[in-house]
Amino acid sequence: MNQANPSQPLPNSPAPVPQGDTPLRPALFARFGDLSSLRYDYPLVLVQGQGSETVLRPLSRIIDDVLRICSAPGAADEALRQQVLALEGSIRSRIEQGATGKLSDLWRESVPGLLKSAGEKQFGPMDRNLDRAREDLDLDGLLIGCNGDTPHITLSHIWKAVHDERAKVFRKTVDGFILQIADILKADYNKSDDAHKADALRGSVGSTDSGIIDFHKLSAVLGREHPEGRLPKARLRRLEWVLSILGSQRFFGPGRSSGRGLLDQAPHSHIFQSCEVALEAFRERLPEVVLLVKALSTAELEVAHKYNAELHDPIISALDESDLTAEHLRLLPPALVLLRDGKSDNADTVRAFEALASGLPIKVLVQTDDILGETTPAPSQSSFGAASARLAAMAMGLNNVFSCQVSAAHIYRVGHEIVRGMQFDGPALFSIYSGATETAPGVAPYLMAAAATESRAFPTFVYDPSGGPDWSQRFSLNCNPSVTQDWPAHSFQYEEANGNKADATLPFTFADFAITDVRNQRYCHMAGKNAAPERLIPASERIAHPDGDSAEPEPFVFAIDPENRLSKVVIDTKIVEAAENCADAWGRLQELAGINNSHVVHELARARAAWQAEHREDAPSTLERLSAPTPPADSPVAEAQPQPAAPDPAPQADVSDAPWIETLRCTTCNECTQINGVTFAYNDDMQAYIADPDGGSFRQMVEAAESCQVSIIHPGKPRNPKEPDLAQLIERAAVFD
Amino acid sequence: MTQNMSQCLLRMVEEEHVLADYQSDITPRWCVGCGDNAVLTAMQRLCRDENLAPEKTVCVSGIGCSSRLPHYMNAYGFHGVHGRALPVAEGVKIRRPDLNVFVTTGDGDCCSIGAAHWIHAVRYNMNLTMLLHDNQIYGLTKKQASPTTPIGTQSNTTPGGVYLEALNPLTVTLGIANVSFVAQAADWIPDLLYQILRKAFHHKGFSFIRVLQRCPEFMNHRFDEFVRDPSKMRILTHGNGLRLKPEVSRIYKNQETHDPSDMARARAIASLDDEIPVGVLYHDPEVPCYDDLRAGERPNTPALIKTVLNEEFDRVAIAAGDGPAQKVAE
Repeated sequence: MNQANPSQPLPNSPAPVPQGDTPLRPALFARFGDLSSLRYDYPLVLVQGQGSETVLRPLSRIIDDVLRICSAPGAADEALRQQVLALEGSIRSRIEQGATGKLSDLWRESVPGLLKSAGEKQFGPMDRNLDRAREDLDLDGLLIGCNGDTPHITLSHIWKAVHDERAKVFRKTVDGFILQIADILKADYNKSDDAHKADALRGSVGSTDSGIIDFHKLSAVLGREHPEGRLPKARLRRLEWVLSILGSQRFFGPGRSSGRGLLDQAPHSHIFQSCEVALEAFRERLPEVVLLVKALSTAELEVAHKYNAELHDPIISALDESDLTAEHLRLLPPALVLLRDGKSDNADTVRAFEALASGLPIKVLVQTDDILGETTPAPSQSSFGAASARLAAMAMGLNNVFSCQVSAAHIYRVGHEIVRGMQFDGPALFSIYSGATETAPGVAPYLMAAAATESRAFPTFVYDPSGGPDWSQRFSLNCNPSVTQDWPAHSFQYEEANGNKADATLPFTFADFAITDVRNQRYCHMAGKNAAPERLIPASERIAHPDGDSAEPEPFVFAIDPENRLSKVVIDTKIVEAAENCADAWGRLQELAGINNSHVVHELARARAAWQAEHREDAPSTLERLSAPTPPADSPVAEAQPQPAAPDPAPQADVSDAPWIETLRCTTCNECTQINGVTFAYNDDMQAYIADPDGGSFRQMVEAAESCQVSIIHPGKPRNPKEPDLAQLIERAAVFD
Repeated sequence: MTQNMSQCLLRMVEEEHVLADYQSDITPRWCVGCGDNAVLTAMQRLCRDENLAPEKTVCVSGIGCSSRLPHYMNAYGFHGVHGRALPVAEGVKIRRPDLNVFVTTGDGDCCSIGAAHWIHAVRYNMNLTMLLHDNQIYGLTKKQASPTTPIGTQSNTTPGGVYLEALNPLTVTLGIANVSFVAQAADWIPDLLYQILRKAFHHKGFSFIRVLQRCPEFMNHRFDEFVRDPSKMRILTHGNGLRLKPEVSRIYKNQETHDPSDMARARAIASLDDEIPVGVLYHDPEVPCYDDLRAGERPNTPALIKTVLNEEFDRVAIAAGDGPAQKVAE
């Protein structure tokens, strides 16, 4: 509930708008005069060592987590809870006063002051409670407040967290190759004459050599042995070349397992302040990418022992920059370009769009401190002004660019989306409004940033090309308040001139946000004391109906002055027009998110009209249909006919007189093949079949059937009627047919 | 990394294998009619059908008739120490996870001298495929009683007959913590033996297959009643287990639909006396593998070993200068 505490009633006479250092504030700011007493998303901890899973965590949530673990519900731990919350307040105050440092350090530094102010002693109950809570602190990192530096510090932190994970995967692969290739080279060296020399043998035993082994004799013995084939010289050279490239790559620094790079050069930097420099660095590094791709492909084939020089050499050696694909470019860590509207050259932002359009893995942060822009229509040399709120939407038009727009107040809430943008294989644009607008003096950057989101001046959205094939999967507007409405509405409590309390519901519009800027205060004035209510109209209503008579009545917003006195402030056409533009842009974003989609609305209207027309024409027939007799409830609609049971397929009786084997059941026991290797043979599955029924005698056939362990040979009838003892054999064979 | 490119380059030299590629130059020296032949064939068929590179395949064995199998496979092999096939196989697997490791062992090798390794291998649940060739006798040494020899059987070591009830490898395995795959096959139903082996190979974890195996020399006629009377073989079928071909289904009509995730039923089936169950008794793909749990995040390179050792030494070393030890001293 927002509450204004006016010391004076609503003014009834015209008054000048305060200028310069005492600007107006939207009425809904009344509650947020002192942010230090609120628990919100700042200070924010840039979490270290937890990968990309948890990169950001507000101090207030960390404290909640700690209290959940270390304090039991109920009154017993109430003192502990109060003390820890007081500590949180102390840390928050220190951050607001400009302190910086890690959470663990600020926690430690804040305790003595807190003990002193509470009159407690060191190692006393309060100190012990705070210490107990600190033990449950399971994460740490730099604490930051919300100010002009927040966007680039936060983005750099997230980029590094993702980069470190990428580096880990890269190093694991590369170090694995290095290890396996080194093993191959070592195995080869151990077959060499050098490895068999007395000194080398002595060295392999180590310092425990007690003289009982004569290494010269051992060397002589080993030397007489012809070692197995050594690696061909060409392969040795290839392996050593691969090792040298992998060991000296500069895209990721050496890990603990890789040791120092062979060339001892510093790894490449990937964070730039200018797109020009980033693109230049990319061009310069392309030959190194080519070498790395060649080395990695060769390594993969070599460790699998599949490198075939005749086949692979021409392909590997011919590979050049023009053959590089997106798959290869993923080897490069994405560059991070930090731009700041108003500080960086406009040309650099334009260049950024060229880079984004090229599809290169480049992540661009455009930080904006002023989204209202100058009031003059002349374009600025170094700022996009009001258009900076459209940069991310422009990037969406490039289709394959991950685009994210967010104000600093909501960075934590889209933290996972920012991580996803950093992990995205292609380019990404992050457009962030810091809230540190110089022309809104005295307003906390967090409040400005939150107001920008609230007023739709800088809505939060994410466009992720990898999210799916359509807009519903790629685009999200969910982080905005009251996303289906034109403006979010808030309840507001104030005191009337006669001292009565009153409630109202106020929409927070672009016009409310705009009046915080001193540049806009020339376009508004206090409503006259005696202004008739019918001559004033809330700004939200005027914006909703832009085609009305702009002269009467006059649009107004509620505002407060530094003393929290509530006023109606009439706004000029210039602000109304800007608010209409803002509402229009918000409406288009809503459409992309499937809210009030104009195609759907029109189609629905058309379908409804068609249905109504048809309904009118078909009314009698519809009635007829409704009055048609319905089948009785108990009559089966579609009775399932019992399917006749499939007859059990009869065994394939061998009606012929030829011998046969149930091959599928053969156990490869060799009984039959030992009796006659011509008649009986194994198929591709090493199971027996009759290869040649005339390859042996009927006697052998019967004996094979009798000795078959699983009785799967069926001798059939004799092939040669002149074979001796046939009658007896036929009788023996009968049991198998 | 450059997966697609490397895959293309690898495909250029990819070989299609035939069964003969897995047959060594040595002709099997098992007795004629021995069930080990069927196991060897099933393994060679699996290697062919999965197109396993012979140089990426390892067969590890202990001692006994069954343990001669690595000699007959054209692959890497280790014919090891009595009862110690599993520790060797575990060593191979943890150092070279890229290899396909099979363990062949017998009832004497596994259930007697190697029993401790068997229990712990099941508990470790490393990604190995184990075949226990159970002919219920020590055959290589000419008929001595093994732990699975049926009570009353006369042998060279038990002329008055075996005194103790035989150990049931299935119930034992099903009782071990972390068990993840237990199956039983019979060498005289080769198609099911092959199917079970294939299921086991595709299971990520320790696959235990007991293969009932006929010994025509020293346990002749032991399984005759089951070989001759298919109704005494209970075939376990399931969507997640075996699916019978019509030819097999026609002969083995005694079938039970058994859900391999049902441990209680698996134990009941494993305890059957009058019938031999064949199929997958138990399968739990979610059991964690020791080789995964213990896999390092980084390759164990000499540089890493050196770095880690130096870091550890630095913690305790007393050196002149401003190292940690010096700070402690101050």
